[in-house]
Amino acid sequence: MGEVSYGVWDGVVYDERPGAAVAGPTFPALRNFDTFDPANDVRAFVADRGFIVFDPDVNLLEMFWRQMTRAAEESCGRCTPCRIGTVLVRDALDAMRKGEPSDLDLDRIDELTEQMTATSMCGLGQTCGSALLAALRHFRGVLEAEIACAPAPQQHAMSYVTAPCIEACPSRINVPRYIDYIRDGRPAHSLGVILQKYPMAATCGRVCVRFCEMACRRKLVDEAVGIKTLKRYVADQQKGEHPMTFGRELVADPLGADMRVAVVGAGPSGISCAYHLLLHGYRVDILEAASEAGGMAVRGIPSYRLPKDVLHAETDIITALGGRFLFDRALGRDFSIDDLFARGYLAVFLALGCQQGTRLGIAGEDPALEGYTSGIRFLLGVHQHVSGAQPMTLGGSVMVVGGGNVAMDCARSALRMGADEVHVVYRRTRADMPADTTEIEAAEAEGVVFHYLTNPVRLMVEDGRITGVAVSEMQRTEPDASGRRSVEPVPDSERVMACTTLIPAIGQQVRAGALTPEDGIALDRWNCVAVDPVDLSTSRPGVFAGGDCATGASTLIHAMAAGLKATRSIDDWIQRGHVRFRPRSRMRQMLNENQMLAGDAVEVPLKHQYRSHHPELDPAVRRLMFEEVEQTISQEEAYREAKRCLRCYRIYSVITEKPIPEGVGR
Amino acid sequence: MTVAPPSDPTEGEVRAVINGREVAANAGETVLDCARREGVFIPTLCELADIDHAPGTCRVCMVEVQTAGADKSHIVPACTTPVRDGLVVRTRTKHVRQTQRLQVELLLADHDQDCATCIRHGRCDLQDVAQFVGLDRNRFFDPARVAARPIDASSPAMIRNMQRCIRCQRCIAICRDVQSVDALVQVGCGVDLGVGLRYGLNQQNSACVTCGQCVLVCPTGALGERDETERALEMIYDPELFTVAQFAPAVRVGLGEEFGLPPGTNVEGQIITALRQLGVDTVLDTNWGADLVVMEEGTELLHRLEAGKRPTFSSCCPAWINFAERHYPDILPLLSTTKSPQQCVGVLAKTYLPAKMGIDPSRVRVLSIMPCTAKKEEATRRQLHHQGVPEVDVVLTTREFARLLGREGLDLKTLERSTFDNPFMSAYSGAGAIFGTTGGVMEAVVRTLHYVVTGRELDNVELGQLRGFEGVRQTQVDLGGKVGTVKIAMCHGLAPTRQIVEAVRAGETDLDFIEVMACPGGCVDGGGTLRSKKAYLPHALKRRDALYGIDRKTNVRRAHKNAQVQALYRDYLGEPHGQKAHELLHTHYTDRKIDTVQSVREVWRDIVMSGKVY
Repeated sequence: MGEVSYGVWDGVVYDERPGAAVAGPTFPALRNFDTFDPANDVRAFVADRGFIVFDPDVNLLEMFWRQMTRAAEESCGRCTPCRIGTVLVRDALDAMRKGEPSDLDLDRIDELTEQMTATSMCGLGQTCGSALLAALRHFRGVLEAEIACAPAPQQHAMSYVTAPCIEACPSRINVPRYIDYIRDGRPAHSLGVILQKYPMAATCGRVCVRFCEMACRRKLVDEAVGIKTLKRYVADQQKGEHPMTFGRELVADPLGADMRVAVVGAGPSGISCAYHLLLHGYRVDILEAASEAGGMAVRGIPSYRLPKDVLHAETDIITALGGRFLFDRALGRDFSIDDLFARGYLAVFLALGCQQGTRLGIAGEDPALEGYTSGIRFLLGVHQHVSGAQPMTLGGSVMVVGGGNVAMDCARSALRMGADEVHVVYRRTRADMPADTTEIEAAEAEGVVFHYLTNPVRLMVEDGRITGVAVSEMQRTEPDASGRRSVEPVPDSERVMACTTLIPAIGQQVRAGALTPEDGIALDRWNCVAVDPVDLSTSRPGVFAGGDCATGASTLIHAMAAGLKATRSIDDWIQRGHVRFRPRSRMRQMLNENQMLAGDAVEVPLKHQYRSHHPELDPAVRRLMFEEVEQTISQEEAYREAKRCLRCYRIYSVITEKPIPEGVGR
Repeated sequence: MTVAPPSDPTEGEVRAVINGREVAANAGETVLDCARREGVFIPTLCELADIDHAPGTCRVCMVEVQTAGADKSHIVPACTTPVRDGLVVRTRTKHVRQTQRLQVELLLADHDQDCATCIRHGRCDLQDVAQFVGLDRNRFFDPARVAARPIDASSPAMIRNMQRCIRCQRCIAICRDVQSVDALVQVGCGVDLGVGLRYGLNQQNSACVTCGQCVLVCPTGALGERDETERALEMIYDPELFTVAQFAPAVRVGLGEEFGLPPGTNVEGQIITALRQLGVDTVLDTNWGADLVVMEEGTELLHRLEAGKRPTFSSCCPAWINFAERHYPDILPLLSTTKSPQQCVGVLAKTYLPAKMGIDPSRVRVLSIMPCTAKKEEATRRQLHHQGVPEVDVVLTTREFARLLGREGLDLKTLERSTFDNPFMSAYSGAGAIFGTTGGVMEAVVRTLHYVVTGRELDNVELGQLRGFEGVRQTQVDLGGKVGTVKIAMCHGLAPTRQIVEAVRAGETDLDFIEVMACPGGCVDGGGTLRSKKAYLPHALKRRDALYGIDRKTNVRRAHKNAQVQALYRDYLGEPHGQKAHELLHTHYTDRKIDTVQSVREVWRDIVMSGKVY
């Protein structure tokens, strides 16, 4: 880290300038803060919590003018102090830095900034001027000296606006913005914000695991804002009287017919990548091993959670934008990577997914046994049954092994398929289950029986069919050095649980045989495609990969985020031969590594307003059918829910030695 | 990991301290609610308790609070901050006073300063709040910022002037929550945030129905009627013209308070005197037109019942007509084709009246005074022109009429009362008088239909079962004869109206006749009535009682007993719903639904997004 010259952070004043009055505290170490991009020193940094100056020659007037300019751009305009205060302070600082007469002197700026900070309605107004206020109070001499020798030289800088929910979302959706549009009465604009990141909004609004809600600061008051619920609300407006239309006109600058990219796999990451490539003007073909689009979202998620027509309306957007699906074409079986380049594709995005269930690895396990089916194969069978392609019968007692969302999907689907009873066996505790709590609760309500701290050890087989599973009770170990508690078998606790069907749902892998050594794609030690985490490039130039096949089975939102990330890399790679520096990603890295969005408190009383919930079908009815369980909330509920957002926007600015390279954001 | 939400401290009674005095409060209530109950004044601007509106946007009601055990105090808005046990509130510290004053000064930084030309001058909440906080300077005002704001003058009824908007969002709340029209949305952002019509349309071509309820709640002059007092004066003072005035049932009970009379005072006599002093050539009564509408609409209803056409919706209310045309054009065939009382009086004032009085019809001009903004628009409808000229020439709202009297130096309080003297179009029955309140049209029609069907008069004309105040009321009345029992409904306010229209469209009702008034309460609380500061419809019930009082005092309480209406049919129109009546007194409606298909591209263009990808 460069030496901190002076600054104020969390209310503490630091001053290491030569001749500073008293030796004060030393600034805590910052990680990875010396340079912004390679060989470009960070001269100063401004945040909600304060400002830090490394290079004493930095001009504060210019720096705060930038910060306030960004605040005025971001201000929603609802509350008085932020709406007009940001503009007045911005203009005054602008005049001062240019050496022009200013309408307001430093006292007036102080008065206005104090008013904004103390009385604004949301996080943006409350925090955008706090660093300026600290400078006015503690380093006024610096500002006065700068006024005296204005005009100030232009500095190199960038500003980044974010919020805890945005940072938590792998796709960096501007959550407060889309909630604002709902509150404003403009759901189409709200959906427009989401569509800037991915096309599958209604899908995500149904099955997302909601990292955003985990980060939501409304929790400090009552409950997190129903961000997913609101996303579904705006996405479902597309089923109403005035759906928005998609078409080729969305492609601002279509490229030539030779600018072709192949996407392998029509799952969430493939769809997302194809969508963004199409919007960039490329010709895109999606090669898909199955005969329909959607990947795991269509086969892995039961229709009581995600109706297939909802999903397909969104995958159809690809066709509306001019993309082409080539179904029943499997990598490794029907074509190779070499074939793709030979056919003239300039780049390839691998979105193969993880299609093969992981085995339990216990005695007697054999996928050929009657009654044995991996979780993912079971869900595929259910999908084919519901879609009418191939009927399936299920009865007796079903045991599902695992604690993730796939396990929950299997258990709830098994009930609907006619199982007499369904048991979930999980080796850890309920609190440890990675599945969404709402999914666990829904399964419990529908009658699924849970067995925690229970682990299969051996299959019981008669005449080639499963009759039961020997399980062992588990107990939690003492915390290890890292504080993590593991589980271990309880000695002599083995017992047999009878079952006719066993569904292991403990994980998935890339399908064996999809990639061959001739493809030249390196795999990592978990047999996933090895990629550079920054740009998603693989070991083969021009081939990029993302989604489950690169990360192991993960979430829809991660997969869609990878699709967008890959698009930017592919675009750079085709247009420039290399992937550009991404200032916004770098900014995010600085924030995350130094925990700049540290958890804080809501200090003033706020009226409690608990969140709206989806209307749901009765558990006793819904366990018998595959109709969608959750329904869309009403318009009144949407308005009400949208008003709960606290808009925790924060602005971060960095001043650098040299110009920051232009590069696409996020 | 899920974090358990903090326990809900909104139950039970708590103790707080306001300005050093210990007070009891309900945990769920806001500091503002509690302070008001305790008689502690806090200046407010955007908040409007009557419609449960506290968006917290103006930030004027700031107070200093210190939570129990906290070591420092915070400045918070009283309107959204709940009282907690042990909360210490200070409303008059120097810090609070300075904060409130600076806030109002900031509000004026981009607010039109030309108060003297403002339609709301002297009745403006912003002027009031500036006085409350002791505003003594205005350092941040920039005329260029104000000049850049749009003024939407597209509608003949209303003007939306964003140069005066303080972003309180009351208009959006009333349009969305109370009226369910949902035409208004927030547009723009930052310093350019304003209120606009959905899909970027204007007041005239949008889903707006010009009911004017937004005008009633606007704290400033940002929303107002199109002022036509000057046009009225030009007409009245033109010696070549024969000016005819009419005023609606509700106007006479909703004008007195402007002149210091108690709300609900009947000033019919003073209005007649004032109009004569202004130089109006003859004063007619819209109540007479209401009696006529009872005859026409009642007869039409019987015809429709005989033809098995059900239900029939009433058609007196122009904002309701707009609502049907803009939002539910498929139900237009269910609307009565009878014109409204205003238009019936208008068209006959230019045909029947000149014939009777022996004047040149081309010299006749009709001025009407209505509690309604939508009536201004109604008068401009093409279907409501007769032989190329409008049936009604100028419509003044109650507010404009009050302004007109002010301009002419007429103080209603000191005027003598006069009575109507036009022998053709001014007498009215009690049935016509109650048209101004929800349920009134229905009651008037039932009184007459009962006689038409059975040949016998009702024993008691006051139909208590029609006089409730719920948004939708359903009941049945026995008209006797071959018609028998009819199922009727009355609704007021457009949110309840939307419910009943949806039910009719879904085939879930078996109603025969439905009375609709777009404004909550009916015309007595119409969008053209006097505005109240800090209150929404505070005089609704008093005005309504006044109308029932007029009904009780009239000698004739049934429309079909109105001798002047009988004379009209006998001498001029022939049968009710006959051919001539049809030509003059019936109209038609058109599908004007807003069908907007947005493309994603248009929406994206609209979204000003930081770090935009495309």
